[in-house]
Parts: sequence; C-alpha cells; structure tokens
Amino acid sequence: MNVSQLADQLRRDHMFMKDVTRWEVIPAREARTMPFPASMDERLKPALERRGIHELYTHQAKSLEAIARGEDVTVVTPTASGKTMCYNLPVLSAILKDPDTRALYLFPTKALSADQVSELYDMIEEMGVDIKTYTYDGDTPAAARRAVRQAGHIVVTNPDMLHSGILPHHTKWVKLFENLRYIVIDEIHTYRGVFGSNLANVLRRLMRLCEFYGSHPQYILCSATIANPRELAETLIGRPVTLVDDNGAPMGERHFVFYNPPVVNRQLGIRQGAVPVVRSISGMLLKNGIQAITFARSRLTVEVLTRYLKDMVRDPLGNAGRVRGYRGGYLPGERREIERGLRAGKVDAVISTNALELGIDIGALDACVMCGYPGTIASAWQQAGRAGRRRGTSIVFFVASSAAIDQYIVNHPDYFLHQSPENALLNPDNLYILMSHFKCAAFELPFEDNDQFGNAPGSKDILEYLDEQGILHHAEGRYHWSAEDFPASEISLRSAAAENFIIVDITDPAHHRVVGEMDRFTAPMLLHENAIYMHEGRQFQVEKLDFDACKAFIRAVDVGYYTDADLNINLSLLDVEKEEPFAGTAVAGLGEIKVTALVTMFKKIKFDTHETLGFGHVRLPETDMHTTAMWWTLPDELAEKIPSDRLKNGMMGIANLLRIVCPLYLMCAPQDIAVVYQVRSPITDKPTIIFYDNCPGGIGLAHKAYGMRDLLLQKALQVAEDCPCEYGCPSCVGPVGEVGEDGKRTAVRLLKELTK
Amino acid sequence: MNLRDKLRAVGGTGGSPRPAGEASTDCRHFAVYRPAEEFPGAYDLSAETLRMMSDRELPEDLDPRRILYLDTETTGLGGSGTVAFLVGMGFLGDNGFEVHQFLMRDYPEEPYLLKHVAAGLGKFDVLCTFNGTTFDVPLLESRLLMNRMDRSCLDLPHLDLLHMCRRLWKLRLGRCNLGRLEEVILGKPRVDDLPGSEVPQRYFTYLKTKRMELLEDILKHNAQDIASLCVLLNHMADLYRHPEKIRFSEDVYSMGRALEKLERTEDARRCYRLARRGRMGDLAGSALAVSYRRTGEREEAVRVWQEMVRERRGGIEPYVELAKYEEHVRRNYPAALEWTEQAMIRLSEPSLRADGTVQQVQNELQYRYQRLKRRIKEKEQDGT
Repeated sequence: MNVSQLADQLRRDHMFMKDVTRWEVIPAREARTMPFPASMDERLKPALERRGIHELYTHQAKSLEAIARGEDVTVVTPTASGKTMCYNLPVLSAILKDPDTRALYLFPTKALSADQVSELYDMIEEMGVDIKTYTYDGDTPAAARRAVRQAGHIVVTNPDMLHSGILPHHTKWVKLFENLRYIVIDEIHTYRGVFGSNLANVLRRLMRLCEFYGSHPQYILCSATIANPRELAETLIGRPVTLVDDNGAPMGERHFVFYNPPVVNRQLGIRQGAVPVVRSISGMLLKNGIQAITFARSRLTVEVLTRYLKDMVRDPLGNAGRVRGYRGGYLPGERREIERGLRAGKVDAVISTNALELGIDIGALDACVMCGYPGTIASAWQQAGRAGRRRGTSIVFFVASSAAIDQYIVNHPDYFLHQSPENALLNPDNLYILMSHFKCAAFELPFEDNDQFGNAPGSKDILEYLDEQGILHHAEGRYHWSAEDFPASEISLRSAAAENFIIVDITDPAHHRVVGEMDRFTAPMLLHENAIYMHEGRQFQVEKLDFDACKAFIRAVDVGYYTDADLNINLSLLDVEKEEPFAGTAVAGLGEIKVTALVTMFKKIKFDTHETLGFGHVRLPETDMHTTAMWWTLPDELAEKIPSDRLKNGMMGIANLLRIVCPLYLMCAPQDIAVVYQVRSPITDKPTIIFYDNCPGGIGLAHKAYGMRDLLLQKALQVAEDCPCEYGCPSCVGPVGEVGEDGKRTAVRLLKELTK
Repeated sequence: MNLRDKLRAVGGTGGSPRPAGEASTDCRHFAVYRPAEEFPGAYDLSAETLRMMSDRELPEDLDPRRILYLDTETTGLGGSGTVAFLVGMGFLGDNGFEVHQFLMRDYPEEPYLLKHVAAGLGKFDVLCTFNGTTFDVPLLESRLLMNRMDRSCLDLPHLDLLHMCRRLWKLRLGRCNLGRLEEVILGKPRVDDLPGSEVPQRYFTYLKTKRMELLEDILKHNAQDIASLCVLLNHMADLYRHPEKIRFSEDVYSMGRALEKLERTEDARRCYRLARRGRMGDLAGSALAVSYRRTGEREEAVRVWQEMVRERRGGIEPYVELAKYEEHVRRNYPAALEWTEQAMIRLSEPSLRADGTVQQVQNELQYRYQRLKRRIKEKEQDGT
C-alpha cells in the first residue's frame, strides 16, 4: 500500500478517526524558477545542466543576486529546497574567477559537514576544475592539516574547531585570513541559547582577525523557518542582513494528521500513552513498506520504541536491521551507516531524537510520526519536513502525549498550522560568555586601549578587570595575554560544562569498548549507578560512574524495566536587578540566581505497563548554574489567610500553568525555561513563584518574561478557567494526584488576586 | 550591581592596578662568553661531515663559525598568544663561544627583540636548534607576522638536533630531551637547573614585580642550552667520522640506519658489521643483508643470511630469505623447499614460539611449502 492508499483507508476507519482532531491536507506546490543570474560563472552552467538543472528556484536566484551586490544574506528555506546552491554557486563562482579566493563553511555538527562537502565535491568534479575543499575538524589527520591550511579554497569546519583549533593558531592560516571572501553558516536556527551566544562571540573574534589581515568577508547564512531569522542573523554577526525567504522549490501533497490518544480515566484526566499509539502507527507503516521516521522526545523513548519495532521484524536469527535507532551518543561510524541505509532504502524505519532534525542527508521519506510535540513549532516543522518528496504524497502523524503543551497543540491545530514559529534567542553579551571570549580574543591579538570587541558593550571595563586579575598585562596602550594557559581549551561552546562523559561497555572483561558519550548535565540523570542505560534497544546497567574521570562503566543486562531519575533543584539569590510591587503587597522581581541541581533517587519502571517497580538512591555531587530569573511573590495577607498545604497546592498549580503558557508567549522551547514555586523562598522570604532561564548566564528570557509578567499571569488564569476539568488535569494545573482536590480552585483564586 | 562588581562576582577578585611606565626604546641584551676548549673539534667541523649527518641543503664551503645556535624561552606552549620573551643566539667567535641573549622586559619591547633576532639570523648561513622545526621557528614566524615584520630571515638551512639525536640514540635512550642527552651522552648532568615548565610563571611574576633576579635562572638555563647545542653537534660529528668510537652496539646499529637513510651505504654497512657481534646482531645482520639486496648484490646478501643460519641468529628470517632466493632467483625449488622445511623446524623451537605472530608466520610457511611442492610436481610432469 502506498501513502495515498493508506491515507484513504485510514480516513474510512472510524475507530482511528474518532481520535483524530484534525486532518489537514497541504496541497502540492509548483516550482517557481528564474534563469541563471549573470553573476554566476559561465563554467558552472554546463555542470548544472548535466545534472538536469536549467534554471534556479526563485530563492536561489535571489540569494545569488544579493550576494553579488555585496550584501550579507540570510536564506530561509524548509528542508530539501536546494539551499546549498544558495552558497555553493556564489562561492564556486568567486573561486573560478580568482583562485586566491577563500571561503569558510561552518556547520553545527561534523555529520552535517561531511554531508555537504560530498555534494560540493560532486559539483567540482563535474566541472573538472582545481578547487580544493577540505574538512578541518578533530578527525582531520595531523599530516593533512598543513595542506588544508595552505591550499584549501573552501575550509569546512564547525564552530568548536574554529574556536579552539583555527582562531588561536591564526598565524598558521595566513592564506585563509588574508583572502577570506565568504563565511557560510548553515542551520543558523540551531545557534540559539548558549551555543548561539558563544558563536556570536567566536565570529566577533573571527572578524577581528580578518581586520588584522586586511580581508572583508561577506556572510551567507541559512536558516530553517523560525519567527525571527533576521534578528537571529543580525545578532549572530552583528551586522544588517538581506533576507531571502521566497521559497521556489516544489513540494508534493502532504497530509498532516493530529491524533489525540483516547481518555482512559475521565475523572483523573488520564489518556492512553503516546508510546503505544506510536508503536502501532509506526508498526502499520513498517508493515506496509512505507519508509518512515519516528521522532521521540527522549533518548529513552527512542530506545523503547526501537525495541518494540525491531521485535516486529526480527528474522529467525534475531536480526532486525530494517529498523534502526538514532540519537546523540551513538558513535559517528554507526550514525553514518544508518544514514546511508536510509538513503539506499535499506532501512525502512528509523526512530530518532531530534538529532535527525538537522539537514543530515537521509533523503526524503514517505512518512513521519511524532511521538509527542518536540517543544517548538520550528522543530515540529523541521521534523515534519523529513517526510515529503518533491513529487508524490507524504504523511505526517502528530501523536499527542498527555503533557499540557501537547494537549494544547492537538486541541488547537490552528495554533500549530498558522502561528509563526518560535524566536531563536541568544545573548552574545551574556557576561560569562563575553568574558571568556575576551580572553580568547586577547590571546589571539592584543587589545589596544580603545579597541572595541565587535558591538560588545563594556570593553574598557572588561579589559581593565582582566588586567587587574593578572590575566592580561597592560603596557603602553595595549593589553597583552599574560597567562600560561590556552584560554580556548577551557571553554566549550555548547554548554557551560567542558567535558563529556564517556560510556564504556565492560561486559567482555578482555575487551572494554567505548559505546557512546553524554554531556555533563545529562549524565547524572541517565548514567547514575544502577541506571538502566539503553543503546540501540539493548539494555545495560551502569556498574560505576566515575564522576571525576567522566567515565561510566556499563554491563549488558536483560531486565524487564527501565529507570527514570528525579532531579532536585535548589535556588539562591545573587543579585536583584529590578523590583516592583503589584496587586497590593505582592512584588515582581528580576535578578540573578544560582541553581543547584542534584539527583538523589531513581524509579524502576516496568516495560509495557509502565508501572513503578521500585526505587533506588543516587549519590552524586551537585552541579551549579548561575542564571537570570524573574519572580512573583504572593500578597502577604493572602498568604496568611490560606493554610500552607493548600497554598502549596495552589502554587504548584500556578507553576504548572506557567510552564504551559510561558513557552507559547515567550516563543521558546519548554526546556529553555524552568518554573518552580517555594512556599517560603530564600530569595524573597515569602511564598514565591520563580521563572528562570535554563542556561548558564541566561539568554534574555527572564528579561522578556519580566516585561510581560502581567500578561503571563492572565494567560495562566485563562488556561485554568477554560479547561473543562473539575479539579485539575495534566493540561492545566496538573493532575489531581499531584495538586490535590483543592489545587485548581486555589490556583484560580490566587491568580485572580494577582491579576486584579 | 555595576559592570565592574558583576565582573568580580563572576570571576573573583584580586590584584591591583599597575602604574604606567615609560615608553620603551629597546630590549635588554646580555652576552656570555665561553672558552673555545669547551667545544672540542668545533672549529674544524667541515661541511662534508655535516652533509654526512643531515640531508639538508648546506652551503658548499661552510665555515663552522657561520652556524647560529638558537633557543627561545616562551610564555606558553603555542598558539598566537604565546610569546618568546627571551631569545638566545650563540656562535663560535674568534676567542671562543659567544651567546647573545635578548630579553623583552615588557611586551612593548617585543619588536626590538625581534629586530635583533632578525639581524642576528641575517649574519649566518645555517641555523641550529633543538626541536626548532616544530617549536622555535614557527613561533618566531608567528611573532614576526603579528608584528608585521619580514619573516624571510628564518629561511636558513636548519639543523634540528632533536631529529638528528633521535636517529642515533632513541633506540637506547627512549626519550631524547636535551637534559637527558647532556647527562647520558655528554656525561655532564645539570645541577640546580630550572625546570622548563616553571619558566612561564617566573616570567609573569617578573612582569608584575620587575625583579630581575627572578630571571637569572632562566638566562643561565638558556645560555647553557645553547652551548650544549654546539657541543652536541660536534660530538655527533665525531661519531659520524669515527663510528668505531661508539661504545654501545644499539648506537652503532642506529648509526648504520642513519647513514643508510642518507645513502652512505658503505659507511652504513661498516656499522652493521661492527654491530653484528653485539646485542644487536640479529637486526644488524638482517639490515646488512637487506642493504646488499637493495643494491642488487644478491650473492653478498646470501652469504650474510647463510652466516646468520650458521650462527643461529635472526630467527627464521634468514631461512625464509634463502628460500625466496632459491625459489625466485635460482628457481631451484627443491633447495627452496629444504630451506622452508628448516624454517618450519626452527619455528617450533620454544625460544621463537613466544612471539605473538607465530600463527601467521606458520601459515605463510605452510603456504610457501604447498606452493613449492606443487611447483616441483609440475616441473616433474613437464620433464616426463
């Protein structure tokens, strides 16, 4: 059965359709094209024509024109619209015209760069010209590095390598820096939060060096669909950009199915879980030979689903290669193999975390199943974009979990279909990040007294401070690096913590092997001792977690359960920036806090029934994070009137409501923020609800929330009042089991007081 | 909180502002003189001997007084934020060995220091360093570039003693750092030397306090390094000229390998022959035979292998080589079979069984054995 037939059959299936809240058909779209622009080098035309390309899509042609005018360009395109041509054509044209020209390509991951380079190689080969494209990353052999530095026309790398491998050694890259004409940055929507704030500073350093070497490169940026591509691009590079968002690529018909699993317990508002539903939808696709990708939110769910689907197709020898899991933490070789399998059609079903959301080339698939809302509209469209060929029909299933935000989306499909996607926010001037990069920049090139660092504020203060600390040394109008260490090695662009944990399989005592890695913040949750760690559906138990050496030792096991750890959060106040009274004696505040996270225990959960089998203790050191926060205290008289346990339930309800409302109105991902409540807060000494930026230093979300603090409370109240449940459910204040029978009533009462 | 307070909260506190100094005009210069007797043979070093030691292009009529010995002291291990704050340059003068050291007392003096270095380099024909190819030269290149100065002064023929020393002594010593070479090869261990790892911190402390005595150890250490370069080079030259002076058979064998790489085949074979009687007999014998085979002197090679078989040296290698020779050159299959059989017998001796590759070698022998049997049979059939 093909996709159209399957769609027809499903639409006639009443049992299925009763839980479908919306079946949207997005009609096919014709291609819109323009002739090759004059700025494109003649030699490219025959090469393109041999590949069947006789004209460019409108967005490609318009990018080329803007680039030819010398403008910095940001191209916004959905998956599979031929965006690489938007930068490859102008770059190749420029190198053909002047062989001294150099270009730098930045991709967020190694996998992506490997992919895009192979496409570039094909073009160059097709033309039979001598243009050298090299990948420069941690895997580049030492012997090849010299050649890359000297001769590479196009150097493909990632922000991390630029930061620690290229910029600090810029004197070895004279050729590149002196002749740098284009800086291409793909997938810029991934550079939000800490990563983006770091990249913006890496680019400030890059431009500082270009100035030293006398080059004036132009930026070509590409982004998936987000709400603020221009703002993001301009914040990243610190200069105005020309936006090209007129997508001319064709697209086949697409079906978008919103599915809400049925309610199994109406009083408690409990629905059937998303995982069993996805298991049967993905299973149905697999049986019909429709190549599909299933996205799950957590690594754990990926592993659980992979195991279910593998079991469906296992041959007598136990092999199930047609079904593969894919997530961060698999080793690169294994990932490449899965990607190749997908392109070659050897893999029929892949179950992935958002790791496959990016432009890694796995070809276009027929179907996509989303197990739960990925958190943002942008992300959801990226995932949905994995299904959809230029011709032919494709289908996307969104299966809602009981999480409030999922329920909101599945019951308001229009919000999803018509709301503009999220903003990608970053804050290059986050003081932690900024100061780190000042150090790196000073190492690379001394600062003059009046030098600025891109458009960063407070250069003079920061330089003087670093001089006082003895890290820089001021002499005759210049600040020189004056410490033994190599500053770039101390800074990881992707998180505040530098080191990843290595996962070592010790099942075979004679042959220990590394099977994966995990970042420092996630490790305590998933790799604590006795945790069940899953890898490609196989179970391992963590035997030992060596926190100081960043190593986890695991051993293969076969048990009927998985584990889930509880995270404990403590807050303390560092500084108050603003405070304002409201609703009588209540106070809203904005400031900096320290968040201490600690994993103390975990649950064992049975497969299939998902019941809790038992608990275990975890003994691990806590992790610290400084960030920005905003808070609301409750009015004194109200807090005194309500008994404390009831007050606690009401506040828990408000926190749950804010967790739903804030991501929607701040347009950010749910995991970017955290909302907690404290009946007696060490921050204010009063009952307080605290919202904080969930990344070190903050990326500006707390400031944005402070600006709309009244609106957020109003919207929280509205969600609670609009919800048909009586005492609370997962879609508003939280389930009754959590907030108690008076939770919803108290939350509504408090919110009414606060919004009076 | 204002920005400065926040910076303190984020990064901690300490230190106090430093008063501004006067504009700099030059860097500091030190000179050290050492008597010529400390450098035996140095004034007689010939271009011919040097060419025996290195494959670098060297000037036709090299005067040993036109070799510049250079060593830097730096603020770190690399990257464009690492600075050479002290550069020492030594050479043979009319009245002994002279070391001239240029020290930047603060960062603004760097251009002056570099100017002296460039001028110094300009007066010599050959540069001699220890690990300069990967460290000192790229570092100076980077510093010149960052000060927008001409880098061509570094384009001198370069003798990197680290590589030359490794060739001769790595087999015996393992690690070849300058301290170890001074101690073991020159027999002059250093006393009270400042460990290299402490150098950057010393200099940073000096920058803050400007107490010159902090740098005394560094200056002494640097001058000693440079003098050692000259002694070491001439010690090596002596050994290249008179390999029979070498007391360790590992070193004799290493010398042979080094000479062979520089295509001084006769000298190399002389070393191998010397080394055949010692601990390195197996390796030296096989190197000697391979050397003959390489130049087409097969009969000589065969004679060496036969000697090795007689002396029971070199494991099964000589048997295999002899089998190959009989099979492929002489086409004497029965003789080849005989050698192969002997090799198989030899391989069963317990002293050779410990080697982890035994199984693979056995398989190869087995394969050779079968093939020879087949060939003998085919030949018999052809004959009838």
